[in-house]
Amino acid sequence: MTVDRFTLEIIAESLRAGAREMFITYGRTAQSPIIYEVLDMACGLTSVDSELIAEAEGVPGFIGCLSFAVREITDKFEPSSMQPGDIYATNDPYKGGGTHLSDVCLVSPIFHEGQLVAFAANKAHWTEVGGMAPGSWTTDSTEVYQEGIQLPAIQLFDAGEAIPGILDILEANVRLPRMTLGDMYAGIAALRAGERCVRQICAKYGHAALRETIATLLERGEQVARAALAQLPAGTYHSEMWIDDDGLSDEPLFVCVKVLVSADRFLADFTGCAPQAVGPINSTHVGTLVSVREIFKEVLDPDFPNNDGFFRPIEVICPPGTLFSAERPAPTSTYWETGAYVHDLIWQALFPVARGRLPVGHHLSICGTIVSGEDEERGPFVLVEPQAGGWGAAPGRDGQSGLVPAGDGETYIMPVEVCETRYPIVVDQFAFNTEPGGAGRWRGGYGLIRDYRVTAESADLTATFGRFKFPPWGADGGADGSANAIEIFRAGQAEPELRTGKVARLRLATDDIARLITAVGGGYGPAPEREPQAVALDVHNETLSPADAREIYGVALSADGTVDAEQTNVLRQQLQGGDRS
Amino acid sequence: MRIAADIGGTFTDLVYWDETRAQLGITKVATTPANFGDGVIHAFDQAAPEADTVDFFVHGTTIVINALTERKGVVTGLITTQGFRDVLEIGRANRPDIYNMVYQKPPPFVPRYLRREARGRLNYRGEELTPLCHEDVEACAQHLLQEGVEAIAVCFLHSYINPSHELECGALLRELAPGTPITLSHQITQEWREYERSNTAVLNAYVQPIVQHYLASLADDLMAKGIARRSLHVMQSNGGSATFDAGAAFPIHLAESGPVAGVIGAAHIGQLIGEPNVIALDVGGTTAKTSLVQDGTPRITTEYKIEHDRQSAGYPILVPTVDIVEIGAGGGSIAWVDSAGALRVGPRSAGADPGPACYDQGGEDPTVTDANLIAGRINPEYFLGGEISLNVERARAAMKRIADAFSLTVEQAAMGVIRIADSNMMNALKLISVQRGYDPRDFVLVPFGGGGAMHCAAILRELQTRKVVIPNMPGVFSAWGMLMTHLRRDAIRTQVTRTDRVNPHELDHIYQEMCAQAEKELLAQGATTNAIRIERYADMRYWGQEHTVKVPLQNARVDAGALQSLIAAFHDLHEQTYTFRLDTPTELVNYHITAFGRVSTPDIPKVAQESSSLADARKGQRRVCFDTADFQQAEIYERDRLPLQQPIPGPAVIEESSATIVVFPQQTLLRDEYGFIHIQRKET
Repeated sequence: MTVDRFTLEIIAESLRAGAREMFITYGRTAQSPIIYEVLDMACGLTSVDSELIAEAEGVPGFIGCLSFAVREITDKFEPSSMQPGDIYATNDPYKGGGTHLSDVCLVSPIFHEGQLVAFAANKAHWTEVGGMAPGSWTTDSTEVYQEGIQLPAIQLFDAGEAIPGILDILEANVRLPRMTLGDMYAGIAALRAGERCVRQICAKYGHAALRETIATLLERGEQVARAALAQLPAGTYHSEMWIDDDGLSDEPLFVCVKVLVSADRFLADFTGCAPQAVGPINSTHVGTLVSVREIFKEVLDPDFPNNDGFFRPIEVICPPGTLFSAERPAPTSTYWETGAYVHDLIWQALFPVARGRLPVGHHLSICGTIVSGEDEERGPFVLVEPQAGGWGAAPGRDGQSGLVPAGDGETYIMPVEVCETRYPIVVDQFAFNTEPGGAGRWRGGYGLIRDYRVTAESADLTATFGRFKFPPWGADGGADGSANAIEIFRAGQAEPELRTGKVARLRLATDDIARLITAVGGGYGPAPEREPQAVALDVHNETLSPADAREIYGVALSADGTVDAEQTNVLRQQLQGGDRS
Repeated sequence: MRIAADIGGTFTDLVYWDETRAQLGITKVATTPANFGDGVIHAFDQAAPEADTVDFFVHGTTIVINALTERKGVVTGLITTQGFRDVLEIGRANRPDIYNMVYQKPPPFVPRYLRREARGRLNYRGEELTPLCHEDVEACAQHLLQEGVEAIAVCFLHSYINPSHELECGALLRELAPGTPITLSHQITQEWREYERSNTAVLNAYVQPIVQHYLASLADDLMAKGIARRSLHVMQSNGGSATFDAGAAFPIHLAESGPVAGVIGAAHIGQLIGEPNVIALDVGGTTAKTSLVQDGTPRITTEYKIEHDRQSAGYPILVPTVDIVEIGAGGGSIAWVDSAGALRVGPRSAGADPGPACYDQGGEDPTVTDANLIAGRINPEYFLGGEISLNVERARAAMKRIADAFSLTVEQAAMGVIRIADSNMMNALKLISVQRGYDPRDFVLVPFGGGGAMHCAAILRELQTRKVVIPNMPGVFSAWGMLMTHLRRDAIRTQVTRTDRVNPHELDHIYQEMCAQAEKELLAQGATTNAIRIERYADMRYWGQEHTVKVPLQNARVDAGALQSLIAAFHDLHEQTYTFRLDTPTELVNYHITAFGRVSTPDIPKVAQESSSLADARKGQRRVCFDTADFQQAEIYERDRLPLQQPIPGPAVIEESSATIVVFPQQTLLRDEYGFIHIQRKET
């Protein structure tokens, strides 16, 4: 070893700083709100062998995804023939892209003194990549060809020069070319930031020091993962769930997992899941691997900096052609709805042994929403955004209210004032959803309600709100949460015309309201064991009715809102008596 | 006479400048946490200046940040637009600690039952859709008073573009709740984003009664000493000062009142030595803070948050604040080995109590100060001017833990700790420079605080700043910096317009209106008309982007030509910051003006040239580790006795009462006419 321990730490931190710098650059310069607000992206550096060594991510759903993209590029393009200024792209869902066509990966080789030393890579959700629907993803596509332009590992730039015609193809195939190409340039600026960082490291410490640091980091990642794995009780853990439907038929779809934990192995076996669907909720093998990586990290060591070494103990079994391993040309444009179930299945399976690191079930679905159309003042517009919702309770604490789901992370919901300025929409309310659900010793967090009233002549709504039929799960006597839902109110009507979990390009007219409702999270422990003071506070905060306080929690309140201890005792005995009968 | 009083965790510093005698004085007394104002009065009594000659008293206070972080504000209510009372608790719904499934959002400062709604609605253009419902406001006020609120914040949607409903509500509340302080969100900021603006208004209301009481009582005490009320000023987060009255009106502007002063001081040092580009680095016991000054102007952020870090979303405050990056790397930062076997330093700190192991006060963890002591950089008999005698054996015993973990000698471990601490500081410096599009090589590093001068040699070598310049009395530099401030008022207004659709006359009108308002406020604070200087900025972006770049507007009046130069300047700045420019329309988002009311600042005296020679400054020799773990015999000098303008080759250690300066072998040092120490790379 030529590099000392401390230099190694300094190089490692510089690599991570480089990844963060890439991330900031992308977020600051992108054209797509889904990149700069939602931070639906990942940026990182990989070794020449396409192993992830440093990463900055905005959403956990992209954890460790970049290595697959770099591998796809290096499998196709011989690294020895690459040169500085080359830029490659892929969004192939069935290969290194791993998700849907909207997520475009950009990759560039990094050189020091003529030698390839690393790759810079990023992946981000570009708002517009063409396809059958504005915003590119939809809930009713049936094959990948409807979902946008495919970039099956192609070269975009050759030694700094755009390959003739390629950008023209991109431009001609998307609805908002200014935005799409703007995102591409932002992504390239981010690659440059990563390149600059690695070159500085090489200039200062030499290529050999970088190479040794990379090897050590990967090895260390593996050691940390194995040490954490040994802390988890060995055994087999199961979970089964139903996914609402595929958006085209109404049939629920079965998914399941068997997790085998041993001291040196973490095996997730998805044998038995429903076959790939006709509608676009399919996830691919790489997407499934990434979701397993995500929960693996959350349970084992949320703080360790990501690298591919950390994920080495993971094994995944999933027969081809299922919902979790769809094959070409299955549509995947709302893959995240299904990828979230990979995550939630393992979460529920491990919940009994990972207490402290996991709460019970949450709203889960990103509740992706698109409102598109055209108005006089703004021209064509596309609003694409996720929704926040209620999280589950955990032993010792209530669930969090109005928080983005596990698949999203440092993701910001859009301010009402920004939304109304940018789109022909008036937001009539943005408030907690406090409907019944998630009762428990520790209760679920509240979901949200967001009312979009259209002011343009018309607009189209596409949205996918999973967990509409099967609400977030509670545990140990805690109630399940409530459901995610979309409600459509026609102008002036008090009752919704429609309540559903998925819509595709539903036409809205002036003053129609789309009410976007997210779930209350699951509860933990029996409701009649909840602290009466906590129940009183919920009533005082107007999130729980006095009637529900009595009926669900067995808490009686006096006229001044304080707990009536005597009455409460009586009520609780009745509730528990009811349990016994 | 100008006086500055800065309250720190341990000491309250008072620095004064007597222009008639051209004399600079310092007093240091113990901080008095029970009532911070007492410490200021103690220091004042000790300094005993002639009070009737004091024409400018400026105070850096932690009262606001303490009340916020310790949750010692008053019971506060919020009145907002119907349908939106949960905005304050929803926040932006982000999860910064993205793999932590049990993340907890920062709880709002106002619970749901104290957040009330009133009908009344404006659209994004500021046009009224529904008039404000007076009955609702009455019901809100009644409810809040019943619940015992002591302050009320009001934030309505789109008030940044049309404040009429907030003004109407404010007028009603003054009748309905006489005596209760009311904060209207648009009075603090006219920027969009309702959560951020609500939170800003709420935090202002939350601390207002406390700050009013504190400043009123301090003012009474100081006036009893003979200082005129109009002379009393507080430091604001924007790096300027305001009168006590203006400060008490919107106390949320004082959140960073303490830390910004050092940045202003560093900017002033840069001006004195003809180096307008400066990076300030303040290394204290627990943290290192760094900030960037370009062309003599400290960088300002409008995305300031408190309690914000990788683990928490924190609380946004939409108030222009000197952009300071703070990391957990100070003298007391503890070295430890993480689960992967890597050496880490901080963010946990041994603080002042028990302090580093070498303080011999029961601390057993190895700290950065212990490492510097083992490396021979600190003189155990001359720490803080000899006030604390350091125990080297304790330091070595603590460091042995690190040494054993890596099978190294104690010295090697100590150098490892120093290198990691240096690296942490350098990353903070990169954050403030490289990541914001600035090249450290264009800047001079001005380190201060107890530890800045000990770590700057490594930073000079690695980041290749132009040079390092160490001010006099780095231990009380913040108070010194405060002496250099001017009155300052910032105003920001959001109005999103594409530059190809904007009418320059309308734009001019907005700026004129904002400038007139700021000028009026500064005049009310005692500024004279010809001492007022106004800078104009526009926050701009490419149409379709979200984030903006702050572009200076060079002309006082806006016409077609000025607009074109503004657009051109935006393209250049965007490329400088992000490496590319686009051929798409540009957009104006915020108008920002900064008004200064210039006051006379001290002329820093030059050091009286005594015919000293290097031999006079020599204190002896000591074995010291500089940039490697090898000890070498090094010269030790006493700072105050160094001859002026004479280059002295490193390696060397310069000692003074409040700091230790380390100079590497490949560097030279020079004491300039002001007494500042310059460190540069040796010419090769």
